[in-house]
Amino acid sequence: MSTCIITGPGSGIGRATAIMLAERGYYDHYALVGRNDEEMRATQKEMQKHLPEGSTKLYHIDLSNPEQIPEVVKAVNEEMGGIDALLNIAGYTDPQPLLTTTLESFELTYRVNVFAPFMFMRECVKYMRQKGGKILNVASTAGMTPRPGWLSYASSKAAVISMSETLTAELSEYGIMVYCVSPGRCATKLRRRLAPDEDPTTIMQPAEVAEVVCNLMNREERCLDGQNIIIRKQMRK
Amino acid sequence: MYTLLFLSGGTGSRMQNATPKQYLLLAGKPVIMHILERVDAIDAIKDVVVVCAKEYEASIQLMLNQYGVRKEVRFAHAGATRQESVRNGLALVREEDVIVHEAARPFVKTEDFERLIAVKERNATLGYSIPFSVLKGHEYVEGLTERSELINVQLPQKFETRLLKEAHEKALEEGREFTEDAGMIYLYHPEVPIKVVEGMDYDLKLTTRIDMLAGEQIYKDVFSGRK
Repeated sequence: MSTCIITGPGSGIGRATAIMLAERGYYDHYALVGRNDEEMRATQKEMQKHLPEGSTKLYHIDLSNPEQIPEVVKAVNEEMGGIDALLNIAGYTDPQPLLTTTLESFELTYRVNVFAPFMFMRECVKYMRQKGGKILNVASTAGMTPRPGWLSYASSKAAVISMSETLTAELSEYGIMVYCVSPGRCATKLRRRLAPDEDPTTIMQPAEVAEVVCNLMNREERCLDGQNIIIRKQMRK
Repeated sequence: MYTLLFLSGGTGSRMQNATPKQYLLLAGKPVIMHILERVDAIDAIKDVVVVCAKEYEASIQLMLNQYGVRKEVRFAHAGATRQESVRNGLALVREEDVIVHEAARPFVKTEDFERLIAVKERNATLGYSIPFSVLKGHEYVEGLTERSELINVQLPQKFETRLLKEAHEKALEEGREFTEDAGMIYLYHPEVPIKVVEGMDYDLKLTTRIDMLAGEQIYKDVFSGRK
């Protein structure tokens, strides 16, 4: 039996990835972690169309409180018989220029985008290191190049890229592979906050990012960890 | 079943560092945890006795918790000499057989421990051939040695606990000092066969600063899964 934890499964890339993984049957059990019950239930319902009854379970936490994460991971391990994969997909943004960025906003962004993935990785590795596994972190192209006005978000995603690269080396002995993907413009709720005037039909869709993520989570994939994989779509003009 | 007697009493004087080498980071992990983590997955080792300076017990216990080590770990005080440290540790060994290892040798794989455990002799040491010439002497050459007759003594070693305790008692009575335990058993229990198990070129004992640099490369080459 194998178990996969997915954060942020209620919408966007998280939802598309969760449903696609269920369709492909890569894992037996899925722990869906987030705070929006209605959205998570909708994702769960779609996933269950492709899975045996009881293969998914919801864990409600607000990722801005990463102190709760050890308890959740422990519960997943006990209730689902282990942890084989972790997908840190949930994200938060409050795009502001430097002079209007408050400490509270900056900290909240880091709590969701950096501290929560860190805590999930630390806690999951305690269980994964006996038999190996896969971790995938969703960063962003915003973490790679200057983004005036997105200080907290862009720098938090740079941290995710760095954490992923460091942990690839640190966790290799345990047979744990750490992937990092940096999607470009993708039609999610988060993107809507970053670029409210953009037509979402003209940019990459969550399912297209999910396609790449799912390919990486395939257990046959053994070569692409430890690098920041940029996901951009070639758009037809 | 075995107790692992794990020596971590070194002071790091040759490393020229205020922190003893077994607590420095190697490949991002404290040296001492490399072995304690791997041993945690070996069923034949029931428990662990860590011999260390009293002031490091709390920090080692914290690391054991952080790294999720599940085996029972007890602490003995480091002595003034290696031999005294082993003797102090032996007092806490409960199993009939003991594996002796030291924190300064982090490059031992789980399967290396299992090879040692698997040999039928209850007393065994890892030993590696000596690839260089050795002469007797100090300031002047005083004699020849036959390289093929020599063994580079490596750890881990395994012994019947009773025999090792007896040997240490005799050594204490006679005031003799040994730098490892297979030689002690050989001297005080000459009737007991001590098997030499093929050692490894990567079983480096971290002693000097340059060993830490070499150790990073050994880790990458032998232990990291990334090639």
